[in-house]
Amino acid sequence: MGSYFARHVQVFLATLGDMVRTPISTINTVVIIAITLLLPSLLYVVIKSSQGLSDGWQGRPQMSVFLQKQVSASEAKQIFQEIQLHPSIELAEFITPQQAIEEFRLLSGSVSLDEELAFLGTNPLPPSIVLMPNKAAAKAESLNELKEQLEKFEGIDTIRLDLDWTERFNAILNVLTRIGLLLSGLLAMALVLIVGNTIKLLIHNRRDEIEITKLVGGTNTFVRRPFLYYGTLFGLFGALVSLVFLLIAANLVEQPLSKLASVYQRQSLLHEIQAMEVLCIIAAGAMLGWLSARWSVAQHLWKIKPS
Amino acid sequence: MIKLSQINKRYPNGHEALKDVSFDVAQGEMVFLAGHSGAGKSTLFKLITRIEKPTSGQLFVDQQNVSRMRDSKVALLRREVGVIFQDHKLLMDRTVFDNVALPLIVIGMPHDEIKKRVRAALNKVGLDGKGGQKPVTLSGGEQQRVGIARAVINRPNILLADEPTGNLDETLSDEIIDIFADFNRVGVTVLIATHDLRQVERLGKRTLHLEHGELIGDYRHASSGSQTSMKNTDEARTDG
Ligand SMILES: Nc1ncnc2c1ncn2[C@@H]1O[C@H](COP(=O)(O)OP(=O)(O)OP(=O)(O)O)[C@@H](O)[C@H]1O
Ligand SMILES: [Mg+2]
Repeated sequence: MGSYFARHVQVFLATLGDMVRTPISTINTVVIIAITLLLPSLLYVVIKSSQGLSDGWQGRPQMSVFLQKQVSASEAKQIFQEIQLHPSIELAEFITPQQAIEEFRLLSGSVSLDEELAFLGTNPLPPSIVLMPNKAAAKAESLNELKEQLEKFEGIDTIRLDLDWTERFNAILNVLTRIGLLLSGLLAMALVLIVGNTIKLLIHNRRDEIEITKLVGGTNTFVRRPFLYYGTLFGLFGALVSLVFLLIAANLVEQPLSKLASVYQRQSLLHEIQAMEVLCIIAAGAMLGWLSARWSVAQHLWKIKPS
Repeated sequence: MIKLSQINKRYPNGHEALKDVSFDVAQGEMVFLAGHSGAGKSTLFKLITRIEKPTSGQLFVDQQNVSRMRDSKVALLRREVGVIFQDHKLLMDRTVFDNVALPLIVIGMPHDEIKKRVRAALNKVGLDGKGGQKPVTLSGGEQQRVGIARAVINRPNILLADEPTGNLDETLSDEIIDIFADFNRVGVTVLIATHDLRQVERLGKRTLHLEHGELIGDYRHASSGSQTSMKNTDEARTDG
């Protein structure tokens, strides 16, 4: 048993050595695998982050109440307090024109906005109130009723009802998740083909060695072992490199996202990758690599017969 | 130890390399396989090690029916039979040590034991201190001896040597054949395919004579050089 383990360690080290000895082709293969694994993980992070965003709304519709522009600050405060008291409303948030412009600036990413505002002289955005009705009022009929009631308030200009904003958002996320799964499947297939082809070339290059090893009593299991290690190591390294890529991508979007996050009073919008997820990516890489090697070996190794 | 009965081998291109060949080699025997180029000597060795399958007939090696053997058992058969190949079959990008060690590596022998055995085998064939070299840096005769060291490293019961003295001068040929005789003396069954009738006569061992795929003679040379036919007397020939 000890020698069995030692034999595996030996093949593992030998394979590692062979990979180091052909750095260019090893790096090529590893980077291609990394990119193939990166795309699904990126999509996963995006979906996870978006889910975090919509979780705050708990599937409840939202209503935006825009006040008339000429309403003074104190009048606006009063309207806000009255609305807050309405029995159908669970949560209300007052947004001053300054806050509104801040959010707009962040979402549009425009830097020259200040100049445009200076040109206009005044802030063109009205004060507004964002409402979340309670559970009982969250049905379409009650919402329309609530809207009609609020429209009678003095100083209110327009009311926008985002009836199924979160529903739509979640539906989009669902579609995105499916696309992600489909894409992952396709990319996994691409990975198997890429690694399989690399292994095929390796088998071809080592034809003599395989033949001679079989001639002196090497079993099929023995002969194929280094190739399985090759595949697994390719997958493993590919996964590690793809994690590095993922980190770089996260850092690139972190700064602009954190500004957006502050609008939503959140620390970060980005889904923080968990240790378990890191392990999953690494395991997926190694497994796919092994699988590709198994597939390639099954296709090509038996054809090599000593003569 | 090795038993062939009515073996035929026809290659896919239709060439009949062996025709109705039957013979028996007992354990501990040393036998020469003589015959002209293309007579079927290498083909016979390929059948014994299951590199090729016979088209018909039965072939037994150490009680095992090689013609019926499952593919998964072939590796075990090859560990029992040491082969010196006509074309050496060395790994040119590996060291002499790695080449000789290969049969031990495939059975998972511990590294220390491998080192000891390889050193002893290289010593036996006169290649002391050449373990670190690549086969390309060696002469044809030295490469031949690397092949011999590899064939005997796993202490096989049977040794097959296909033209082991092909590239060598007389003195070296004698030395090599004497190595095989040494192994034979300790009980190893040895089969040597050769054109070198000088060796056949020098040692006075049993000789199987192949011609165009047929076994036309099975006889023993007396060490002196005069011959005693034991079988197929009328057909026996000493010239290839
Ligand atoms: N793979 C093959 N396919 C077709 N014909 C073959 C094959 N291998 C050998 N032969 C033919 O079978 C015959 C016997 O070949 P073999 O190699 O056994 O001869 P040999 O006695 O070893 O000759 P030599 O002394 O030159 O090595 C030859 O005519 C050869 O051309
Ligand atoms: Mg031959």
